[in-house]
Amino acid sequence: MNKGGLLAVFIFAVTILLVVAGTRWPVPSAAAYAGGGQVSRTASSPEAAVSNLCDRIRAHAWDDAYNSLANKARFSALDFQHDLNGTYPGLLTYTNLDSFEMQPLHASASDAEIRLRLKWATVVGPSVTTRQLRVVRNGDRWQVEWPITSQPTLAPEVIPVNYLRWDVIDRGAGDDWGMQNVDAPHVRIVDMHPVQRAEGTVILGELLNDDIYPAYVAVTATLLRKDQTPIATEGSFDKISHVLLPKQVTPFLILFPDVTLADVGSVRMTPFSSLIAASADPVIEIQSQHMSPAPDASLSGQLVNQSGQVANVAHVLAAFYDSTGQVVWIADQYVDRALLPQTPTPFDIHIPEDLARKIASERTVVASYSFGGTES
Amino acid sequence: MQNSESNTWMQRSIPISLVLMTALAVHLPLLLLMLPLKSYDTNLHIFFASHYAHHWFDPWNTKWYAGFTQTTYPPLPQQWVALISPLLGLDLGYMAIQLIAILLLAVGVYRFSLLWVSPRAASFAALASVFLGSESFLVYSAGQLPTTFAAPIYLNALPFLFEWVRFRSWSSFFKAIALFTAAAAAHHFTLLFGSFFFAIPVLALAFRDRADGQSVTMRACAMRTILIVAVVSVAIAVVLLPFWIALFRYPVTQTPIPHPSRANYILNPEWGLNYFVIPYGAMILALPYIIVRGSTFARLRPLLFGFWIAFLIGLGGTTPVGHWLLGRAFDVLTMERFSYWATLLALPIVGMMASELVGRFRATAAFALSILAAGTCAAAVGWVTWHPNDAQDFKVNEVAAWLNRDGHDSYRYVTLGFGNKLSRLSTLTDAGSVDGEWNSGRRLPELTHYGVGALTSSKYFGEAGLDSLRAMLRHADYYGLKWVIVRDHYYDPLLWFAGWRPVDSLDDKTITIWSKDGVPPATAVNSSQIPPRWQGLMWGTLPFGSSVIAIFLLLIPARKRHRVRHEYPFPVNEEDLAPGRLAS
Repeated sequence: MNKGGLLAVFIFAVTILLVVAGTRWPVPSAAAYAGGGQVSRTASSPEAAVSNLCDRIRAHAWDDAYNSLANKARFSALDFQHDLNGTYPGLLTYTNLDSFEMQPLHASASDAEIRLRLKWATVVGPSVTTRQLRVVRNGDRWQVEWPITSQPTLAPEVIPVNYLRWDVIDRGAGDDWGMQNVDAPHVRIVDMHPVQRAEGTVILGELLNDDIYPAYVAVTATLLRKDQTPIATEGSFDKISHVLLPKQVTPFLILFPDVTLADVGSVRMTPFSSLIAASADPVIEIQSQHMSPAPDASLSGQLVNQSGQVANVAHVLAAFYDSTGQVVWIADQYVDRALLPQTPTPFDIHIPEDLARKIASERTVVASYSFGGTES
Repeated sequence: MQNSESNTWMQRSIPISLVLMTALAVHLPLLLLMLPLKSYDTNLHIFFASHYAHHWFDPWNTKWYAGFTQTTYPPLPQQWVALISPLLGLDLGYMAIQLIAILLLAVGVYRFSLLWVSPRAASFAALASVFLGSESFLVYSAGQLPTTFAAPIYLNALPFLFEWVRFRSWSSFFKAIALFTAAAAAHHFTLLFGSFFFAIPVLALAFRDRADGQSVTMRACAMRTILIVAVVSVAIAVVLLPFWIALFRYPVTQTPIPHPSRANYILNPEWGLNYFVIPYGAMILALPYIIVRGSTFARLRPLLFGFWIAFLIGLGGTTPVGHWLLGRAFDVLTMERFSYWATLLALPIVGMMASELVGRFRATAAFALSILAAGTCAAAVGWVTWHPNDAQDFKVNEVAAWLNRDGHDSYRYVTLGFGNKLSRLSTLTDAGSVDGEWNSGRRLPELTHYGVGALTSSKYFGEAGLDSLRAMLRHADYYGLKWVIVRDHYYDPLLWFAGWRPVDSLDDKTITIWSKDGVPPATAVNSSQIPPRWQGLMWGTLPFGSSVIAIFLLLIPARKRHRVRHEYPFPVNEEDLAPGRLAS
């Protein structure tokens, strides 16, 4: 073979080798698209079987994921999808699986148990669900037995509602929301104090709607140095209930990342309010509220939607007080399942361990959002 | 007799005028249909052009990222669009400049191919460029005007580079400098990488050919190379000075954004189809020929090596080569342009193949090649319809009108679920956004720290995308961000719980405008990044001026130079054995 022929063979061979190498050991950016980094995992181990299942869930390949299950005969593909995403639209319905972690609990030659943490990237922040999976050996491969949770279905029922509602008459179509030229509802901060946490300086407090009308509220805080120059300004964002009915109180939390409390001379608080149309519906009742002590301190309970409408997303905001009645922490949780009428839905709010011991009491408020419908 | 005439015709070169007419016939109707408006980036370039049309000497654009400088992107094609927009409008102006780029490509491929192969093979290569899948892919699906504008200028510069190094032609020296500078003013990456893929093979050819005809010493060739590289470097440094200043002041340090062109095309066949099959088309069938023939003829080897490296990098994450050679740049650049360059580099050999096939099989080969070429072009053009970038086509005029009235443009806005309609909206409205589609131009920490693209598509970037969106909404007061314009109700819960309220709906209630009360009107926040006035004057004068100078220099006729014959080691086709070159 002449030089040219050898060169051609060399180029062909090297190209093929490079393609094989790139496929067998993808570079990080290619691995990210390939869903983890390997060509294809045969389900030759319990972990590989769970990992394959999660990759399919991440890719929204519901049928493939369902078909890979060992116990698929016990439920339909739709049941499986609803188990993961909810029957009614909720936070998990349109979300993507961001990552997952496996913790092997038990393994034998024929079966294994794995605790699976699924981290979903929801629009309001990450949401973690945990499942305990049994993985069984079927010939030379492993298959997951999915612990299906049957989703509640609503029976036909008439629910009378009798709730308060406030409407606002606008000047007209050209009137921008919030430009009402009327007095804003009277609101006041009833408690506020800064604390130093690992993530920065945190302003905790409570805001009261002191008026007889519902109010849209927000709170902004500016940290000032001792010479009164501003350090930073931040808002309460979603760590507040923005709609307050008359005489309602909402806790708020404002985080200043990377600011040390020792550098702060004073805090300038700016509460904001404006008139807003609102209704008391849906009424979300909190049942079986329970504080678990440290370690793994948490506030848990059940939300019961008393109305006849589905509340798609619920936000639970809890203020924790010490024995003197001062707010020591504020924590929240978005409930990832839709709140069906009259159907209890659990919530569980984590409390930092160092603060849990100081807590003597708590107060919880719930805000909810319904797609294309009512909000409160 | 008739058969003999037909055979003679089959053995001739294709006149370049016929190639240009073919390019017009194929691409003019497609461009008049405004097909590129459906592509990823066309509206971005029209947005940039719109700014130049209104503020030629002020590159500071307040419509994106609460203010950014357009000196972060070489301006030439966008300035040409802006220049002719008073006559044709921005959309048609864009199409006109794109058409010119396509015509220039045919000429550039012809002239570049003449360096390597016979005039007949070069004419086939030029004709093939009209149907090139990667060209159609970039024009109609990717909308990369700067890449498709810079490459032909660069290809046209290369023969002058050869003539200067090989024959010390001063006229070629100046023409090469003007064209290289204009190419850099059109697209910096083309120049940077083109130097490796295109210029080094041409220089290698010039060095290799130095003993043929007018022999010249190695030292002389080297000195000429150094001189032209130095002068071009200085010219580019001066012409794009504001660009370099912006790059050095604000180097691209933001977290890399995932792009499917970096995927492994075997593990992700859908992206393999998008970034390999469609751009290469029928050229995939010619790959063995390209490698065998490029290896066999020593003269073609520099070209083959340039093609091979570009080909491997263009495969994205299918091989580790891009990652190895480009380092961090691999995670910043998109790979389809490397495939584009690879196909351009392959065209001379493809032209040679076509010449051989037609020479041997006559009408049968011509017919088969025509079908393959047309199929390649058609697939790449049709790809934008079969694989649309925007699944939901909608008009943004109503949104722009809403933002432009009643003082709404005193505040900034962000869109959610608008895809690449954001550029279109930004062109039409006076209001500013905190979002944008030119990632290298953004400086806001809420955008640069998360490794995501435009906020309008934040959900597609998973947790990082949503974190970025939340960080931006959190600082709405600071940025005067009052309006969130939503076409995807996925985002509604976040807006609701973060304190926004729906205030209006548009486009048959498919678009909702959310507002946050208490947000102060927008003020300048990036003032320290505003380029000084002298930079604006440079930016409005030198890049565009470089193209004008190049046009004038090209109008100066070149002296006819004697042809140099190059012998291949073994004959393939009589025509290809004597590739008389030195086009000018």
